[in-house]
Amino acid sequence: MDLFLQLAATGLVVGSLYVLCAIGWGLIYGTTLHFHVAHGAVFTLAAYYAYAAQKLLGLPLAIAVLVAICAAAISGMLIDLLIYQPLERRGAIRTTLFIASLGLLTLIENVLAIIFTPDPLRMDVGSLGDSVQLGPVFLTRLHLVSVATALLGLLALMAFLKYSRWGQAIRAVSSSPEMARTVGIDLRRVHLLTYAVGSAITAPAGILIAMDVGVEPYRGTTFVLLASVAVIMGGIGSIPGAALGALFLALLENLGVWKIPSEWQSTIAFGVFLIFIVVRPRGFFGRKIQSAEI
Amino acid sequence: MRLVLSSLFTLTLIAGMATVAGPVAAQGNPIKIGAILPLTGSGASYGVWMKGGAEMAAEEINARGGIAGRKLEVIYEDHAADASKAVNAMQRLVEVEKVPFSMTSYSSPTLAIQPIAAQHKVVIMNGGGQSDSLAGKDYLYNNIPVVSNEVGVIAEWLAKDKKLVNAVMIVANDEAGRNSADTFREKFGAAGGKVLAEERVALDATDFRAQLAKLKARGGDLLYISSYGRNVAIIADQARELGITIPMAGTSWVLVPETFKSKGAEGMLVTKLPFDPNSSFAKKFKDKYKTNAGFFAVQYYSATMIFAKAAEEAMKKNGGVLTGEGVKNAIESIRSFDTLSGKLVFQPNHGAVMDIEAGTMKGGKVVVEKVIKAAP
Repeated sequence: MDLFLQLAATGLVVGSLYVLCAIGWGLIYGTTLHFHVAHGAVFTLAAYYAYAAQKLLGLPLAIAVLVAICAAAISGMLIDLLIYQPLERRGAIRTTLFIASLGLLTLIENVLAIIFTPDPLRMDVGSLGDSVQLGPVFLTRLHLVSVATALLGLLALMAFLKYSRWGQAIRAVSSSPEMARTVGIDLRRVHLLTYAVGSAITAPAGILIAMDVGVEPYRGTTFVLLASVAVIMGGIGSIPGAALGALFLALLENLGVWKIPSEWQSTIAFGVFLIFIVVRPRGFFGRKIQSAEI
Repeated sequence: MRLVLSSLFTLTLIAGMATVAGPVAAQGNPIKIGAILPLTGSGASYGVWMKGGAEMAAEEINARGGIAGRKLEVIYEDHAADASKAVNAMQRLVEVEKVPFSMTSYSSPTLAIQPIAAQHKVVIMNGGGQSDSLAGKDYLYNNIPVVSNEVGVIAEWLAKDKKLVNAVMIVANDEAGRNSADTFREKFGAAGGKVLAEERVALDATDFRAQLAKLKARGGDLLYISSYGRNVAIIADQARELGITIPMAGTSWVLVPETFKSKGAEGMLVTKLPFDPNSSFAKKFKDKYKTNAGFFAVQYYSATMIFAKAAEEAMKKNGGVLTGEGVKNAIESIRSFDTLSGKLVFQPNHGAVMDIEAGTMKGGKVVVEKVIKAAP
């Protein structure tokens, strides 16, 4: 039983990072319909920004994290402004956009690997790395911060979408771009805003995992893959759905180890995903995936 | 037909160029040798040592006038623990640089390049990988003992001297990790111990908590780490973080700078191969590279020196011509080389034997408790 609790707690910690990545990606995908795999690069960039701000500029950790989140938001906006918007203006189809995004992901990862080497870089986390015991479960303070960040991030994003003017504009574009345009919403500006918010909400995930086990150039690919799976599982267009999908995947990966050898970790998660999506293609809460959306 | 003719023409041309290049290379051009090392990835810290050791040796050789008057040039290639990268590097060294000799490291990459070495008659010398399957291969020499020697020593020391008999194991899922784990299971069993459970992890992973939690639940009085590189420090830290309090143990593979700095590794039971951190070599290394030298720095210094001696002998015998075959024959005829870690005698299986030390990690150092002498 202790093992079950420990694995569930570890799953929850990993899951909170998946949640942050998935709701950011899901927000962008649900609003713009861009299959933005370069989101993985933004996730990774956030970690390098935090590392650079702490180690190269010598900023205190909290400030470095804030700087990194802002820089990640700007990076997301720049990707939309400099890559996706010009492509869309020239009438590029979604597949072209996806391939451009994939190219950008590879490019950024490799450039980071050349500048910083592919080796993991350690950040100074001070007492955040200390162990905390909760009954039979052992975690670090950083893990508790991760769970709290995911919870706050999720609530803040939902409140933003529901109550703020800009959030309502995003929702309007997400549910019907044509209708939003006719009531005078500038789609391009809403897209830019979506990239800023979606990138900012994912940035802490990249930074937190970097603080835990080191900054690495190639981690974003796995995370964006998991995020897209979580979003499809949760239902496209649903933020709580994306969060639930992400948490489900993480718990599955970790609890699966309970009775099955651990090298099966990701095989289990993706196997269950395939079965799930065949049985219930609209996911937990979402609208049905239209062939035109992918 | 035209295609066949033109390719024949190209082949003749290439062959012609090669014969032209041959004699030119023998006239005072630098002698180029390769070194395929983990310069990036989880084992990059070994790479710093290995490259530094080889570099220092090459500089010393060139300072005293080179090998038979020719300058020695080492070409470094990165395999990042990946066998296919090692194969590409080896092919480049053989076809483009035309080296007669290359240093190599790690078990899977070395096993992958050995057929190329044998086919092109290029000697490869491994100073790092310890898989048992590295022994007795054509054109492959290991100036390090294969793993069964060292794992045998640690298994017996843990079971008999430390009275730790119920082990759980965390194993890097590659040739070296699995081989070492299997050997440990066998030798530990023979010494009266028992392996209760084993979890395999990817070498490039950074989160081992699920596996460690499982091993913790299994009980046992010893966590044996059959992994290497930066993994070890992360495993040790995450194990302590999960409240695993039993002793951890590992062979010289675990002794990388990250481990020495890790809080979790305090008290780790280890075996190591002889290396004196106060030697003049270690001091010179520290001055030059601003980091402490390790055992593997000496290994690649030695490998380069062994090559220099063998190459000189080979050129003397073959009228100044240096070939891989000549180097191989020279190594076989000299057999016994003086190195910084004492006399090294190549065994009939192309491997080396060394003394092994056992001890405990304390305050970033290994406090040696027992020295197990190499069987002559």
